[in-house]
Amino acid sequence: MKGKRITKKDLLDALKKFLKDELALLIAFERDNKAFKIRAYKKDVPDICLFNPVYEANTAIYLRRIFSEDFKILCIFRPCEARAYVELTKLTQVESRSVICGSVDCFGTVSSKLDNIVFPENPQDLKSFLENSKNLRYACMTCRLKNGVFGDFGLRIDSDWNLWVIPYTGKANVLYELISSAESDLPREFLENQERNGQVFQSSLDEFKRDFDKCIMCLNCRDICPVCYCVDCVFNNDEYLPKGDALINSILRSNDAQIPKNKEMYHFIRMYHVSQTCVGCGGCEEACPQGIPLTKYYKGISERLSGLFDYVSGRDFEEKIPYTTFREDELPNADD
Amino acid sequence: MEKGFEIKDDVNIVGFTCSYCAFKASEMAGSLRLKYPEGVKVIQVPCSSRVDPAFVIKAIFEGADGVFVAGCHPGDCHFIKGNYFTRRRIYALKEMFEAFSMKGRLKLFWISAAEARKFVEKVTEMYNHLKEGKK
Amino acid sequence: MKTGIFICHCGHNIKHTVDVKELSEYFKEIPNVYVATDYAFVCSEPGQEIIKESIEKFELDRVIIASCTPSLHGELFKDLLKKSGLNPFLLRRVSIREHCSWTGDDLKKNTEKAKKLILAGLFSVVHNLPFEEKVVEVDKSALVIGGGISGLSAACFLSKMGIRVYLIEKEKELGGHVKRLNNVWPYEKTGKEIVESLVSELVKADNVQIYTGARLELLEGYFGNYNVKITADGEREMNFKVGGVIVATGFEPFDPYLKPELGYGRDRRIVTTLEIEEKLNEVVLPEKPRVAILHCVGSRDETLGKSYCSRICCINALKVARMIKEGYENAYIECFYMDVRAHPKGGEEFYEETQVKGVFFTRGNVAEVVPLSRCVLIRGEDTLLGEVFEKEFDLVVLSIGMSSQSENKRLSQLLKVSLDKDGFFMEAHIKLRPFDTAVKGIFIAGCCSGPKDVEESINHGKASALKLFGMLNKGYAYVEPFVADVTEKRCSGCRMCESVCVANAIKYDARKRVVKVEEAQCMGCGLCNATCPSSAVTLLGYSDMILMDEISGLLARL
Repeated sequence: MKGKRITKKDLLDALKKFLKDELALLIAFERDNKAFKIRAYKKDVPDICLFNPVYEANTAIYLRRIFSEDFKILCIFRPCEARAYVELTKLTQVESRSVICGSVDCFGTVSSKLDNIVFPENPQDLKSFLENSKNLRYACMTCRLKNGVFGDFGLRIDSDWNLWVIPYTGKANVLYELISSAESDLPREFLENQERNGQVFQSSLDEFKRDFDKCIMCLNCRDICPVCYCVDCVFNNDEYLPKGDALINSILRSNDAQIPKNKEMYHFIRMYHVSQTCVGCGGCEEACPQGIPLTKYYKGISERLSGLFDYVSGRDFEEKIPYTTFREDELPNADD
Repeated sequence: MEKGFEIKDDVNIVGFTCSYCAFKASEMAGSLRLKYPEGVKVIQVPCSSRVDPAFVIKAIFEGADGVFVAGCHPGDCHFIKGNYFTRRRIYALKEMFEAFSMKGRLKLFWISAAEARKFVEKVTEMYNHLKEGKK
Repeated sequence: MKTGIFICHCGHNIKHTVDVKELSEYFKEIPNVYVATDYAFVCSEPGQEIIKESIEKFELDRVIIASCTPSLHGELFKDLLKKSGLNPFLLRRVSIREHCSWTGDDLKKNTEKAKKLILAGLFSVVHNLPFEEKVVEVDKSALVIGGGISGLSAACFLSKMGIRVYLIEKEKELGGHVKRLNNVWPYEKTGKEIVESLVSELVKADNVQIYTGARLELLEGYFGNYNVKITADGEREMNFKVGGVIVATGFEPFDPYLKPELGYGRDRRIVTTLEIEEKLNEVVLPEKPRVAILHCVGSRDETLGKSYCSRICCINALKVARMIKEGYENAYIECFYMDVRAHPKGGEEFYEETQVKGVFFTRGNVAEVVPLSRCVLIRGEDTLLGEVFEKEFDLVVLSIGMSSQSENKRLSQLLKVSLDKDGFFMEAHIKLRPFDTAVKGIFIAGCCSGPKDVEESINHGKASALKLFGMLNKGYAYVEPFVADVTEKRCSGCRMCESVCVANAIKYDARKRVVKVEEAQCMGCGLCNATCPSSAVTLLGYSDMILMDEISGLLARL
């Protein structure tokens, strides 16, 4: 694998050139004074922020159902966001011919709910700031996939703090070719991200019930989830989440029921639905108004379940989602 | 209902059985007058691959103590490959149940149309196991 | 919604362990249940009359019959609903016999269980839709795969009944293994004679097409309308349509090379029963020959993964013993057996006679056959005496068993019919439907479903032919309307269902970005339904709503 060693300015020049194209769009982060925002650039790009320490939502949700083939939409995302994009291409929820999505090395993030945090501008300082921050989100604290090795290209930092652009797919050329620096072999070492060994998730039904007791079934966690892609979720319908007469009917049948009904079932089913595709970004927890520790459960379950099939969501465009494939000779002891 | 003979401590097991193998075995178990606990009730589905894990989860949260999914042996599926998908899904779902310390509440059985005795053995064993845990 | 519930006593079968009165009283109280009643035999004429009258009187639009398992009396009750002017798909059968009264003895517990089973039916029957059963024309023709004795028998029968027959045989000649037999038990007829009489009948018939050197390449469609592609004589490709199929691929003789310790192939004094029967005259033996016959070669042998009995080899061994005894009166013949299972009629008597005629029987395991220059040495263990022996013989005959055709694996995939653990085709039900496969319109005949002797194979072939004839002769068939169906507005177009569909029945519409189902190709397994996270694909007849309400019913708190 080869790459180009660049400066931030080289990158910006290339992006500016890229935007010369009528049909080109750039989606990236910007630093606006103290605030960090997601922004789409159409004509010009004054500056972008590569290392955004504030997490709002998984940016990949904005790529969902982009089906137009006419545009060239270049995205510079965090690894967890690029992975969600890869999953969405597998599920034909985004036209992969128009979207080119790369990932940048990530130092971890804090919740956008927190105010008054002043982040250092210099990447070196930012990295050590975040590493020592007690505000780091649970999802980032337990993240083992912080390197920009996902998606169509990567923007990575080597151990001497040089920036590299590395193409992973042919599509990356729209950016890669615009960078004037010479191509070379990759450095031996990239910046090391602190690897935290997550424990295998283990809980109990009682603990789960306690934690989810607060749930008000607002379904925010579903709506903000990048891989919950269904245009019409089963929980919009009466058979899974009865409302009105259907609710009364179902209560009559079971004699008594908690209202809102089926909230434990909802989380269990949703956990199963995203059990292979969950990227562990923790977006659900950010969206939860009740402060339920959703990441612990959703990410924990997905790590256990995808681990059964050596699957890592968003690792590879070609890797099939485990539930859609099988090997005849596998799992000889699956039955009881 | 007024006559009231509710059996409170009974164990409820819901089983999903495929039309071509496990359901046939359950029919044969009846014909052979093999006995198994009343708490075990089966639902017929065309193929074990029809079993959406959502059904299993629903059954558990509606009060089932245990759920089993029973299909043809791998390679013998009437729909050729359906049970290979069942195997992956239910295997994963069992792992999820284990993560919530609910091991043993979901089981996957391969029961051919001829294995009425195996059907009875398996469901009885599951029943007894759950009953033991409930005490 | 007006529901009627009819609870069957099935004489004492249900009533004995389920309080049927309690059930009908209980369900009468439930809203929307217009009639709940119990009767001695719901399937009897008066029983049917009660249902018919109730449907008419109360204008019922859903009917629940709680009785035996739904596989029984299906057509009868469907017809009853039709006669009563109600769509037959609005019927729900609840099994309270096979799944309740017969599986437990406790009246209270059984009644409780039956209540829940019926409740499940009651909750889910609401979602039953009045489907139209599709009637399809049935092509009065059959494909017979295999021109051995059972295939020939089946083909002859069908041809005589006026069914067009396509008979395909992989060898260059018809007749299979029987053709090679010198002496077919118990008639002393040669196999050739039997085969030739059947073949000449077929050749004369004007509704039979015979293809030799042929191979099935493709079978598509459903009962009544199968499209077949074969290649004959090595390359000629042929396409035709048939209504049904009879699989009669027979067996492969056990390959004795798989038991190298028996020395087959290393010496011409070690032969199989098939060989010796064909060419006893060619074997040179001394005047007073010593002959060993080893039973169960390739049968009842766990080490080979063949635990089954091949049924024919004991009688074959006895036959060979007698043949030799007739040619060489002074022969010393010793059979090494596990158990002598002289299956066919008259077999036991034949075994007795053989012993009287001086053939010795030793119950033993033969460990090794060693050809030496002066003799063939057999080492083994006498399992009655518990002693090890070493004996010398001039000839060793291996009574080989039957193995499944290696071709079966490929065929089973083409036909979508399962094989059993030994590679034989599996019956739909070993006792109740021994000629059917799980696939409608595909039958099995002869040794392809397990070892059989000649007589059994002929009968099996004829019986399968008769069953198929009964289905074809009607000229039409009903097709179940339970196929997958897409609700477009719920479909996200993620194509997961498409990637799992085994029947390739799901196609992606790139313009609309949703999937659609090719009904004719759909097998109705429901895998797509379970794969779709938003249940945009529904398996009609087994929708999420039906199954989820069934679950609720089973778990209802009474």
